[in-house]
Amino acid sequence: MVLTIIYRLIVALVIALVGWNLFTEKKFTAQLTAAMVLIPLVLRALMIK
Amino acid sequence: MKEFFKKPIFPIITASVSLVLAIGIMVAAGVSFVKCWDVPMPIEGPNVTEVKMLSEWYDGLKDSPGDTPVYVLKGEGDGGAMLILGGTHGNEPSGYMSAVTFIETAIIENGTVYVIPYTNISSMTHNDPGEGNLQYFTLQTKSGERIFRFGSRATNPIHQWPDPDVYTHHPSGQQLSGSETRNINRAYPGREDGTLTEQIAFGIAELIRTEDVGITFDLHEASPEYPVINATVAHQDAMTIASEGCINLLLSGIDMALEQSPTNFHGLTHRELGDYTDTMAILMETANASQGRLRGGTSEEQVLGGVDDYYLYSESIGMLFVPWDENHHPIEERCGRHLQGIYEYTMAYNNAYPDKIVTYSGVPSYQELFLDADKEDLGGTQLGKFLR
Repeated sequence: MVLTIIYRLIVALVIALVGWNLFTEKKFTAQLTAAMVLIPLVLRALMIK
Repeated sequence: MKEFFKKPIFPIITASVSLVLAIGIMVAAGVSFVKCWDVPMPIEGPNVTEVKMLSEWYDGLKDSPGDTPVYVLKGEGDGGAMLILGGTHGNEPSGYMSAVTFIETAIIENGTVYVIPYTNISSMTHNDPGEGNLQYFTLQTKSGERIFRFGSRATNPIHQWPDPDVYTHHPSGQQLSGSETRNINRAYPGREDGTLTEQIAFGIAELIRTEDVGITFDLHEASPEYPVINATVAHQDAMTIASEGCINLLLSGIDMALEQSPTNFHGLTHRELGDYTDTMAILMETANASQGRLRGGTSEEQVLGGVDDYYLYSESIGMLFVPWDENHHPIEERCGRHLQGIYEYTMAYNNAYPDKIVTYSGVPSYQELFLDADKEDLGGTQLGKFLR
């Protein structure tokens, strides 16, 4: 249980970093890549998949 | 126009568009995955006297994602107890569809039958990544179109996480690949303070011990390139019964191999339930095209009809352990094998233990499900005729 909470906190941190990257990146294709990376991360943080 | 794209606001607009697109995909995927958590249950048949939860035998499972319905079918006459385990593996549909068919059709004359349609119900709530499996399949039944889930081999990782690198079986100490830690057919006899999968296995062993279950069936499917197929595996204590039942299956035209459970392969029902309870543990396997490695694209026709032309070719070059022709292996043949197997092994059990008999009627036979069916009804229509 504690391990799962730590894991979800790490996932949340990575989501924040990818989100930061999405809005600081100038190149559209790189922004799109960051947005795609967010999809499995958010589903994992919410423990949906 | 060029000046507009050079302004710093433009990357923020494109980032926002990307984010909105990603949120849209997240919501669509999330809704689809969450819908899979709702596992459709059997409709209670004419002889379902009670629907309990497995947590009634092991309360550690209460309110957990491993707590699963147990359908109790009690006959008017005295007799013994029998347990049918469907859905040990959620990607083996003839296992749980046979259990569902039994629940919806059986009339028990003597004894009590416990049926668990989804033994590892957590495995029914997700699909294996990378397999391209269906999430659902549909059948036309007496009450109209019904939806059934196609699940995974193992417990949902959102319910049991993380997998170890190496799975050490309790209590034997046998070591297997880490992913097997979520496979309930490597978790028996289970333990109270173990993983969710081990706790479900413990609950089932407790049910067997508490209710003095004399004979237990575990219904499986295997890929056509797996050697243990169209086969029965029995614990050594159940071999006499299994041999008699197997002969009767062969006499009725069902080609069934019989193997004794290996003593050095642990965690499986036919080994551990036989060792740690007094039940006669029997496991059966049928041929599932949608499970194999040599298959083509997955579809409802493949899951229900068993139709796969790649297996026709594989047969022609000797790659399979089960005969394959243009009739393929429809769900009626696979469920028919399981249900006829249960019948013949139960009859053999009754001969050996006349004070603990279990007798029933109403369940479709191999003949009714498969041999008597019109060819165009195979692949789900004929099975649906027996479901409520």
